[in-house]
Amino acid sequence: MTADPRLPTDAIRRLTIDPGPWLSCDDCFRLVDRYVEGLLVRGAEPVPAELAAMPAHLAGCSACAEEAATLLLLAATEAGIDPAPALERLPVP
Amino acid sequence: MTEVSPDRTASRQAGGIPPPGEDWIADLTSSGPVREDALRRLHALLVRGARFQVSRMSAMRAVVGAAQVEDVITLAADEAMVAVLSKLPTFEGRSRFTTWAFKFAVLQAAVELRRQAWSRREVPLDAAPPLIEPRPSPDLYAEGAEFAAAVRDAIDRVLTPHQRRIALALIVDEVPIDVLAERLGTNRNALYKTLHDARSRLRTHLAGQGYDVAPPTRSREETR
Repeated sequence: MTADPRLPTDAIRRLTIDPGPWLSCDDCFRLVDRYVEGLLVRGAEPVPAELAAMPAHLAGCSACAEEAATLLLLAATEAGIDPAPALERLPVP
Repeated sequence: MTEVSPDRTASRQAGGIPPPGEDWIADLTSSGPVREDALRRLHALLVRGARFQVSRMSAMRAVVGAAQVEDVITLAADEAMVAVLSKLPTFEGRSRFTTWAFKFAVLQAAVELRRQAWSRREVPLDAAPPLIEPRPSPDLYAEGAEFAAAVRDAIDRVLTPHQRRIALALIVDEVPIDVLAERLGTNRNALYKTLHDARSRLRTHLAGQGYDVAPPTRSREETR
């Protein structure tokens, strides 16, 4: 894609990403501890239905995604789990 | 003080990381030296969470400066402590207590550091000039340029002025959502809803024009 100083390529992607089902930042915060622990212990298994809106929210909200990544690393350290595989699966904006 | 969910033990064992032997809830809702010790341990945990969040925000940390960063960590941990203790009755044991508590420190630290880093920066809130090019440049014929032009056109024509302003501030100018919310006197949920609706509107318009819009999510694996 051609770079445009007014609308960089990555901005185009982030503006047109599928927002998915609606999930507020407050609800993301309410669920994020369970979501990151799920990534750590469930591996590549499907996300439970109650957490189904989390991936799209994290892909669409850079602040929530940044905080979720930190929480994943902290949770992994507490549990003595290698965070790398889960971090790879964490959606990014 | 704390209303302990009857199925807490079961839910702790059913999902999430197996909890460690320590029982934070019991200690924090007891009295005397046991509670005092639990409060000290909790505060130390929250300081660690806040410090770790700040350590991962190198660009903003550099703007704020070392001394102020320490203030951010202390403030974030203190505010998280208040939040954790007030929300203790809502802890359902569906994650480890430490993960649940950490999230308050992480949020407070991230929000406060973003706020401090942007405290002297202007947030571009005026209506940005139109993105539509009056004459197509030669670049328009390069791969993907047509889609870029269609997106620019859609931003200018399809979004409401409010959606356009919020979407461009968050995505193009990369104003942190908390900072933008504070400047506009609103909150993170409301701004994210505006962005969510703007994305839906752009995608509907672009799909109607025959464009294959971006897939829903990607992970770090998929960005390589």
